[in-house]
Amino acid sequence: MISVSGVRKSFGAATVLNGVDLEIRQGEVVSVLGSSGSGKSTLIRCINGLEKIDAGKITVDGFDVSKPRELSEARKRSGTVFQLFNLYPHMTAVQNIALAPVEVLKVPRRQAEDEARELLRSVGLSERAEAYPSQLSGGQRQRVGICRALAMKPSYLLLDEVTSALDPEMTSEVLSILAALAKTGTTMVFVTHEIEFARSISTRIAFLDKGQLIADLPTAEFFSDKGMALPRVAQFLSKMRKD
Amino acid sequence: MCRLKFDLSILAKHIPFLLEGAWLTLQACTLAVIGSLVLGLAVGAMRTSASPLLNRLAAVYVDIFRNIPFIVQLFFFYFGLPEIGIYIDAFTTGVVALSVAGGAFTSDVIRSGILAIDPGIIEAAQVSGLRKSTIFRKIILPIALRASVRPLGSVFINLILTSSILSTITLNELTGSAKIVASNTFRPFEVYFVLLVAYAALTYAVSIIIGMLHRYLNRNQSEGAV
Ligand SMILES: Nc1ncnc2c1ncn2[C@@H]1O[C@H](COP(=O)(O)OP(=O)(O)OP(=O)(O)O)[C@@H](O)[C@H]1O
Ligand SMILES: [Mg+2]
Repeated sequence: MISVSGVRKSFGAATVLNGVDLEIRQGEVVSVLGSSGSGKSTLIRCINGLEKIDAGKITVDGFDVSKPRELSEARKRSGTVFQLFNLYPHMTAVQNIALAPVEVLKVPRRQAEDEARELLRSVGLSERAEAYPSQLSGGQRQRVGICRALAMKPSYLLLDEVTSALDPEMTSEVLSILAALAKTGTTMVFVTHEIEFARSISTRIAFLDKGQLIADLPTAEFFSDKGMALPRVAQFLSKMRKD
Repeated sequence: MCRLKFDLSILAKHIPFLLEGAWLTLQACTLAVIGSLVLGLAVGAMRTSASPLLNRLAAVYVDIFRNIPFIVQLFFFYFGLPEIGIYIDAFTTGVVALSVAGGAFTSDVIRSGILAIDPGIIEAAQVSGLRKSTIFRKIILPIALRASVRPLGSVFINLILTSSILSTITLNELTGSAKIVASNTFRPFEVYFVLLVAYAALTYAVSIIIGMLHRYLNRNQSEGAV
């Protein structure tokens, strides 16, 4: 379980997360929605330990991410997929994927690379296994990024706007992979602006507004009168649907 | 005044001596390039580390050695240190001095190579659970070095040129032996002409190798221009 409780985070004078509580259990797909600047990325970056929190506590399977010793354990249990892919430019797709399993989990290189190829095959990239990131399209890069996260066999997948740097066609190739992952029971925390997609794959929706979680509801309820009863949510949804 | 004819043939019998000097230059420069690189990597890493102490220490080193003429550093090592009981032979002194001075410039290049890396790439490595040392060896260093090949080439070419100053501490490398030949033959024009061509050839060769290395290491890195 990922547990976020009473988390506060400021950058200078700006409070970005203002007392956030959120729990994500195995098997859930939680979409985090909210307007730009509401703190979604910051929340993800606090969970994977890229930002230090000012108050509160975040644990991943009981490991406290604020404690350096436990952070490495927490990080073994969660995988992150980035908006801008962040692939290692000097490594091939296979090398990108196999690096952490070899170095962190001590999987023999051969085996790690075989598993990497298998992952690439599952996302339709078997032909591009030896390609470098610069030789791949955006959608292909993001699929490699997803494989890289999955290679660590994480209990949780953290995804921050993983399709917002992609054109519609590439977006749908990546989304279909995520939908397949959701079906197989992969636990995901999914920050997105793709409202309809979030609705179709999520078990729950968490809605951030100015650093506060003002809604945390099962998907159906969120998109029903119950969600609409919250003015900020109604406003957000109507605005998103217009765009 | 009597103008002699430009005649390289009179240098023929001095060629082995000059080649010995060239060989010494090559040895000193090769060792100094390795020394600069090792030092530059260590100091470059220190300057980008999170530790304020290491950072400061590295910055002081770079400031000192970049802002003092090489010949002064060299004299300090060769003539100054014996005064406090440290005796090092001319060749070692030369290599050490070149490495220390070259290391300051090298570390600057490495540092900017490291700072130019997209922080997102390093974050990706961090969240995947890689240790700091692994991230440095497997991600930061290879990316920074690839970007640094050309500027490092300029530093190393400068180092070759600077090595001629080693002749001032009795080291008969290329320039030193040329001086000797010039004074023995009374043919400074021919001798220094040869010297000029020799240094030009040496640095030109290095710049070609650097260009090849750059293209080789970056062959897969960007879609268009490299
Ligand atoms: N490193 C930082 N330094 C200073 N301010 C920051 C930093 N990171 C984020 N912020 C600020 O924190 C606020 C929340 O940022 P965050 O990236 O979490 O929003 P978001 O919900 O992900 O927005 P978007 O939908 O645009 O991605 C913003 O006002 C942003 O400017
Ligand atoms: Mg964001």
